[in-house]
Amino acid sequence: MKYLPYILKHLRKNWIRTASTVAAMALCIFLISVLQTALQAFYGGLETASTERLVTRHRVSLVNNLPVAYAPRIASLAGVRRVAKFIWFGGTRGAADHADFSNFFPNFAVEAEPYLAMYPEYGLDAAEKEAFLKDLRGAVIGPALAEKYGWTVGSVIQLESFIPPYRIGKPFEFIVHGIYEVDKQKYPNFQEDIMLFHWNYVYEATGQRAGVGTYNIQIADPDQATAIAKRIDATFENSDVQTKTETEAQFLLGFLEMVGNLALILNAVGLAVAFTILLVTANTMSMAIRERRTEIAVLKTLGFSGSLVMTLVLGEALVIGLLGSGVGVLLGQGLIANLGAVPLGGFQLPALSMPTTLAVSMFAVGILIGLVSGLAPALGAYRGSITSMLRQA
Amino acid sequence: MTAVDVQQVRKIYRKDAEQIVVLDGLSLQVPQGEFVALMGPSGSGKTTLLNLIAGIDRPTSGKVVVAGTDLGTLSEGQLAKWRSRNVGFIFQFYNLIPVLTAVENVELPLLLTRLSRRERRERALTALKVVGLADRAKHYPRQLSGGQEQRVAIARAIVADPAVLVADEPTGDLDARSAEEILNLLQTLNGEFRKTIVMVTHDPRASARAHVERHLEKGVLASTVSRHEPVPAGAQG
Repeated sequence: MKYLPYILKHLRKNWIRTASTVAAMALCIFLISVLQTALQAFYGGLETASTERLVTRHRVSLVNNLPVAYAPRIASLAGVRRVAKFIWFGGTRGAADHADFSNFFPNFAVEAEPYLAMYPEYGLDAAEKEAFLKDLRGAVIGPALAEKYGWTVGSVIQLESFIPPYRIGKPFEFIVHGIYEVDKQKYPNFQEDIMLFHWNYVYEATGQRAGVGTYNIQIADPDQATAIAKRIDATFENSDVQTKTETEAQFLLGFLEMVGNLALILNAVGLAVAFTILLVTANTMSMAIRERRTEIAVLKTLGFSGSLVMTLVLGEALVIGLLGSGVGVLLGQGLIANLGAVPLGGFQLPALSMPTTLAVSMFAVGILIGLVSGLAPALGAYRGSITSMLRQA
Repeated sequence: MTAVDVQQVRKIYRKDAEQIVVLDGLSLQVPQGEFVALMGPSGSGKTTLLNLIAGIDRPTSGKVVVAGTDLGTLSEGQLAKWRSRNVGFIFQFYNLIPVLTAVENVELPLLLTRLSRRERRERALTALKVVGLADRAKHYPRQLSGGQEQRVAIARAIVADPAVLVADEPTGDLDARSAEEILNLLQTLNGEFRKTIVMVTHDPRASARAHVERHLEKGVLASTVSRHEPVPAGAQG
């Protein structure tokens, strides 16, 4: 600690260089932390995906619907406990021709009774659930939607889908019968901005054109998931419409990766940024130490050992790393906490928070970048002979 | 008692295939408490000899014993520790750390000791008092004149109370008046504080302050001028 004032005084001397290096480091940590938080949120559903749920979809593409008649055939298979029809409705507020995507939120038409039974994530009051099940136009919304739009039980919501089979020339009208609650201890990543309504309503209103997007299936024994999935697909092997059945986690992963291998892309961006900042910081540290060759020679003449001089140089790099990562993590947390209020490309991101483990990792990354960037000049200071450093001055 | 004992020292630098013999079998003894001036033309090996005595360079062959320690037996780490306790180095261009105040510069060698912060500060202030700069303790090097900077550098050299002071042209960058002050100070350190001083200089006025002048020519000692009483302060001004 007695050397800390010495280190800080050097950093303060060239404060513009120090500040710009810290800013570059902070920007790097900020970017990586935001990207990683987004990535974790993006893939968060996978962690909480139930192992006892399967999803059956059209073998060719998710865009194609499955026949309604498949429901009883799937339900009759051994090991299947429940089957629920599911449609990704794609409803927006306002007319579909002028869809307001800036306020887009997930809304699904589901076969309510079995669906709610297999998704305990939707915590519903018994009375609200009963009211919802009884009313064909009924809907259940998440607390985030209630807060954002001021919707309460009894509110009437109009949505019009931009997907052709679900369009009827006018908006669908729904009545809110319940606001679900999520047990964040059990389901920390479960979304709170979903709207559920009855599949039957959409099916009937579209003149039975709607079909089924996916069949969500609950099975009795998670260990039998693969066998049951094979059994389902085998059942429709010789049908016009063949199916592909996966566990919920596999289905979500496939769905997410339709936009590409996001993890790979974001991790590559993060690594590239970190490596660039490492080079910038290393260059800055090298310049700073090269300018002080005489000073290092003097320190060694006074009796400072090579390893102590090396420690002092690494100490400077470490302080830059600490400051950079500290500022970066704080900025990242600030942005992430307010992401929900930032409309991005027509979509609104959910409210997120940076996991503590990620914040700690980002600190570690900053410190590591600092130390690695200081390594070359520190070794130079360690190895340099006093006489040659004095001669070069 | 001998403070500095240089025995048959050779120092050879290699530049590509060429070998440059800077010191060629040189021997030198400096008794404790003596003030020696090393003189000679550029390239004669004065500074190299000084560096060997200060333990910041090693000879190609031969032996250097300073303050009773054979420097050739010490590892780099041990040599650094030895320097911090036994040698005070005074540079031609002062070489103060620009971001530190005068007292912080003087305190630097004491960071290597187990002294408390308060003790370090007290000793640094005492050293500054010895060189007459107690009132400039909180000034940065850029706020001091050349002569004052060199006095701070001398305070830094003596603060750990080393047995030997080595000075490489300590007046080389100073005007006549400042040079006079520095030489007076070195004489005081030698006379009153019994410091052994080895000083490289081109300046005859500076060498006249020493007890002994040793002249180097092409890496060997060429001549010696010995005085019982060095020229008193101001006599050659």
